[in-house]
Amino acid sequence: MEDWRKNKRVFGILFLPPTFWLVFFFTFPLAIIWVYSFGHRGPLGQMEVTLSFEGYVQAMDWTILYIIVKSIWIAAIATAICLLLGFPLAMGIAFAPARYKNVLLLLVILPFWTNLLIRTYAWIAVLRTNGYVNGFLGWVYGLLDGFFGFLGAPDALGGFEPLQLLYNRRAVIVGIVYVNLPFLVLPLYATLEKLDKSFLEASLDLGAGQWRTLFSVTVPLAWPGIVTGLLLTFILALGSYLTPDLLGGPDSIMIANLIQQQFGPARNWPLGSALSFILMYVTFLCLWLKAMAAQREGGVSY
Amino acid sequence: MITFPRSRFPRRRFLAGAGIAAIGVSFGRKAWSEEEKKLNVYNWDTYIGETTLQTFTDKTGIAVQYDLYANNEELFAKLKAGNPGYDVIFPSDYMVESMISLDMLEAVDHSKIPNLVNVNPAKQFSDPSFNPGLKFGVPYMWGTVGIGYRKSKVPEPDSWGLLLDSDKYAGRIALLADARMVMGLALKYLGYSMNSKSEDEVNKARDLLIKQKPNIKAFAPDNGQDLLLSGEVDLVMEWNGDIISVMSEDEDIAYIVPKEGTNVWMDNICIPVGAPHPENAHAFLNHILDKEVNAEIARTIHYATADKAAQALIPAEDLSNPAIYPPEEVIAASESLTDVGDFTPVYDKAWTEVQAA
Amino acid sequence: MTTATLRAPATPRRRSRSTIAPLEFTRKRWLQAIIAFNFVFLYFPIVALIAFSFNDSKRNITWQGFTFKYYDKAFHNPALHDAALNTLIIAVVSTVVSTILGAMIGLALQRFKFPMKGLYDGLIYLPIVIPEICLAIAMLAFFNAIHMDLGLASVIISHIAFSFPFVAVIVRSRMSGFDMSLEEASRDLGANDWQTFWNVTFPYMVPGVVAGSLLAMTLSLDDFVITFFTSGPGSTTFPVKIYSMVRFSVTPEVNAASSVLIALTLTLTIGAMLIQSRSTKKMNANG
Repeated sequence: MEDWRKNKRVFGILFLPPTFWLVFFFTFPLAIIWVYSFGHRGPLGQMEVTLSFEGYVQAMDWTILYIIVKSIWIAAIATAICLLLGFPLAMGIAFAPARYKNVLLLLVILPFWTNLLIRTYAWIAVLRTNGYVNGFLGWVYGLLDGFFGFLGAPDALGGFEPLQLLYNRRAVIVGIVYVNLPFLVLPLYATLEKLDKSFLEASLDLGAGQWRTLFSVTVPLAWPGIVTGLLLTFILALGSYLTPDLLGGPDSIMIANLIQQQFGPARNWPLGSALSFILMYVTFLCLWLKAMAAQREGGVSY
Repeated sequence: MITFPRSRFPRRRFLAGAGIAAIGVSFGRKAWSEEEKKLNVYNWDTYIGETTLQTFTDKTGIAVQYDLYANNEELFAKLKAGNPGYDVIFPSDYMVESMISLDMLEAVDHSKIPNLVNVNPAKQFSDPSFNPGLKFGVPYMWGTVGIGYRKSKVPEPDSWGLLLDSDKYAGRIALLADARMVMGLALKYLGYSMNSKSEDEVNKARDLLIKQKPNIKAFAPDNGQDLLLSGEVDLVMEWNGDIISVMSEDEDIAYIVPKEGTNVWMDNICIPVGAPHPENAHAFLNHILDKEVNAEIARTIHYATADKAAQALIPAEDLSNPAIYPPEEVIAASESLTDVGDFTPVYDKAWTEVQAA
Repeated sequence: MTTATLRAPATPRRRSRSTIAPLEFTRKRWLQAIIAFNFVFLYFPIVALIAFSFNDSKRNITWQGFTFKYYDKAFHNPALHDAALNTLIIAVVSTVVSTILGAMIGLALQRFKFPMKGLYDGLIYLPIVIPEICLAIAMLAFFNAIHMDLGLASVIISHIAFSFPFVAVIVRSRMSGFDMSLEEASRDLGANDWQTFWNVTFPYMVPGVVAGSLLAMTLSLDDFVITFFTSGPGSTTFPVKIYSMVRFSVTPEVNAASSVLIALTLTLTIGAMLIQSRSTKKMNANG
């Protein structure tokens, strides 16, 4: 790696245009939002640039804080479910015979390459009152009803009430899990793949059962990778916009939707900007935690 | 060693140059002095006829770009930050009032709209209080907000209480995602004015809604009628025309105005300040007021039109349908929304609290 | 402790169907069941969406028959045409500029050290990690503050801003495997700076550049949140148009449009993978 002074001309050519873009079309807009977060909202929603903490004060209001806490909660649950589903999947792929590994990985990644909007929209047809899940349940119900009728008790089961699976928190969590699962599986797979299998073999040979090995050997060894995956998934889940927008109901509005409202119908740019920065700080916090975990991974030595 | 043919680089340069040229063209649009044959229309969804835009383009050669918004506040938010290029908008009565007070609308040149004579001469159409002398726009459609419901699941509802104050149909109710409308109807249900400037009353309406929130399945942004049609909900608060449109697809759906009365609204076609094609905009306003065009729109979207000449071309069943042309008693019991000016933040705050709860 | 002392005694294990070696988790039934469930979970909604795009029923609740008419309707929808065209223009322009900018800074970061490089490193990663909504509203506020109309230009600028760091990361990681002595050798043999770059460095960079540009293109084609906030009249993109259709109902036409977008993105990405693997093979073969 050479010092930039040695070849100023080349460095200048390579460095300046991208930096210009980064500063002018990225950092500067963020700075504007930062300034706006200290602004004042006029009576009809005009944006006045002054020094006022009303944006942040409003953000600390319990109604808003409640949404932030709710978003963190939803994101956390979704991440946990991703772990429950994704960890066995990652284990399965990592320990699969070599000829299947790439195919399985590809199959996991493929949905990720589909547009997020479309993936979320697909769930509407599945979860709605007349959707596939309820259709299937209704059919099963019809069979059971017929069966009971055959046995002489035709109304034993009562009427079929379709499950309310859409436009509520459940749907949002399902949607977030669906969209972010590959983001957890891939880092988990990468970590598990790199594990020195002989540790596991040794543990098994020494008499520990499969589950004990899993929790006493595999998980601690893969821990930094697991944490990395979890934090990444959590960050993405927290910033979800489309999923709560399309699948959620009145009880499942998340931070990103709230921010959008402030720049839209609610016309409260100071609050929106303040919220936006709060979201960024939470993200940075998670990233910092992730960096710490990654450092630990590098530092493991025996 | 791999060598690459020299011609590769010039090709990349060309692409980059073409890209920059494309950006330059979209930057440079405003620099053209003559008005190009384009028009940017911003409207509510399902709020235009099937052939309206095509016949306009056929007659004038002007291509129409058609974008959608879901409520007046969204429209306002988009324009307040600086008109992003819209020529024609469709604000409701109180929003017109608000925009005029903020100098957001262009005065309309009546000499360019000969079809203005078609407008219903009754005072509320030809000289409304929110737009005296039709200086800042022309009237479009008017109607009510009511309850759309599924007859087989809900016996005829007669009160807003079923949607706002009762858990009888918990989880089967959808309200509008329109702050002034929902807050206003909650106020009306409680016996207050829809345009109340009393913080106490607004807070009572807010509390009512928060209490009812667990029973509400969705706040539908202009698509409540689809939720009703697909069976997601059995009771919706919706604009009359939307419900009537889906009634033709499903006989099990009906529309009613509750006994407490409701909101009577009037939408208008206006030209926002900063419109890039004001000449084309005037031509479009004139086109909509043409009796044939207007009748076709009314037949498609099932709303009551402010264009008297067009009414002659509307089928009798629509004209006598009380859901589309409400009788005098309903109008007497109903209220129109007006701009509450400086009091707006109180409504906004209450609405945010309802959404957040 | 070294791995040698931990290695288990090499007892040959009989590979019969009934004996599953301890680490062959994948052959255990229950794990296979979980994996199968995961794949059903991942694929069912998309497959159902594509299947129901052929459904001959406007309300699309029950299967009424097979038809192409909604694809026909989608193909003849002028608003979708405009949206598709906008999407392509935006994608092409932003990909070209992103690739150039990203390759430049990727190369610079890998090659040079300069003061405050650590800080700059963090800055270049920022667009990658920042929540999309934050960047979207920042760009909206920016265009508003400089009084620039929202349109194709604003969308393109925003797309470039968030995608060139991705390209930079990919190019940089590609170049980290580059042997600088090759460049020295080329100079020793009499080539000037430009020739060295063009004949030695650049060919090595190409797979990274190609991978980066395809990633940038996918990011641009699929983007919703940022485009939603920075587009104005006449610059609606395909995902944004589908969003406004989706808001209003689930119809086979929306499914058809979505399936088209899926097919497009998949083709591009699989094409990317093939090109990348083939060019890496060629690279390795030619040494």
